[in-house]
Amino acid sequence: MRQLINALLKYKNTLLYLGLLIISLIFLNYRSFYHQSIFSKTALAISSNFNLIKQNISNYWKLAEINKKLLLENEKLKALELIVFNSQSKQKFSLDTFNFEVSTAKIIKNSYNDARNYLIIDKGYNDGIEVEMGVISSDGIVGIVNQVTSDFSSVLSILHRDLKINAGFKKNGAYGSLFWQGSHPQKMKLLDVSTLNQVVVGDTIVTGGMSDYFPYGIPIGRIISFEKPELEGYYDIDIELFSNLTQKEFVYVVNNKKIDQLKQLKNE
Amino acid sequence: MNSDNLISILRFIFLLFLQSFLLNNINFFGFINPNLYLLFIIVYRLDSNPSVLIILGFLLGLLLDLLTQGSGGHTIATLTISFLRPYIAKLSFGINYEMPTAMLHGSFLSQRLLYLSLIIFFHHLILYSLIYFSFDNILTILKNTIFTSFFTFILVFFSMKLFKEKND
Repeated sequence: MRQLINALLKYKNTLLYLGLLIISLIFLNYRSFYHQSIFSKTALAISSNFNLIKQNISNYWKLAEINKKLLLENEKLKALELIVFNSQSKQKFSLDTFNFEVSTAKIIKNSYNDARNYLIIDKGYNDGIEVEMGVISSDGIVGIVNQVTSDFSSVLSILHRDLKINAGFKKNGAYGSLFWQGSHPQKMKLLDVSTLNQVVVGDTIVTGGMSDYFPYGIPIGRIISFEKPELEGYYDIDIELFSNLTQKEFVYVVNNKKIDQLKQLKNE
Repeated sequence: MNSDNLISILRFIFLLFLQSFLLNNINFFGFINPNLYLLFIIVYRLDSNPSVLIILGFLLGLLLDLLTQGSGGHTIATLTISFLRPYIAKLSFGINYEMPTAMLHGSFLSQRLLYLSLIIFFHHLILYSLIYFSFDNILTILKNTIFTSFFTFILVFFSMKLFKEKND
């Protein structure tokens, strides 16, 4: 103990310096947006590499389960393919006319306990990922890419209090904006739906066509309850998500090929 | 000893305000703003407690950043140079650097110049590296460091002459 105190006294200037240096770095991070973005980019690169190692180890033990899930998904896709072939065999069905490109990615880190959650995936700009691409999973939407390094990207989860997504009814196309209140990872709210439309418990909610990030019609969830305020002209709707964002392994990144044209129009 | 402390406090406040309201607005050749406030760290008594100097250096930089809307570069640069000052003094003046005001009286001119230029150069290097914070701007960093160091050096050197004559 005495030795410890002696050592502390001997290096007290260095310790004082390091302590004040940390305070000044926090000050710098707080004052300057440029420094903040560099710090967060470095932190993202370091933490994603660590998480990748961890994930690789834990994934090995889950291989059987992942296999089962993939088989189930393949079955579903096969069925879908057959339906498409049967119904549209006479029309030309071509991927070129579809506005969105899809690529797969693996989740390295996934948070769902905070008020502002995010994910890290193992694809970066080397794989063609760019900021503001949408991310979906086999049974719903996941989020939007917000930061990209060479091999990794971070994704704002839809479980993020500041994110609003355009969504609408499958049956008639009435739309509103979907957002998360920060409580339960499978419950969201749909606001700004006009009371002119009829709402029934159990209606399916899909992504709206007005979003630049997601193609129209991806199922998101169903209505579990709604309120019709007397004075306002908008519903207050509670939604339960189809997908469980707490157990995702793989996601698909969708790239809107014509987003530049859309942005150009909006700016004009 | 009390009057020494009082002079230090007055010098701290005077240099802080001089730097933030006058010298930072000079923009000589468009980019040169001499940092005279380093004089406080340079002439602070060499035999005093180094921990106090580290805290004073931190406060000086922090207040300067707050007054001039800086991002935090002055804080880190001034803090670091206050921490490094004993090592620089040892390098410049030899083993007996802790003699009271050794710098002003019992030393050669070359030793004093070395001490001044080392402190000023390292301070500016750290300051501009932090402000630009990118390897792409290394030429800008070096250019700013060298030119601003030169003008700061001239100002500090003549200010020290003035102080010395007053004291005698």
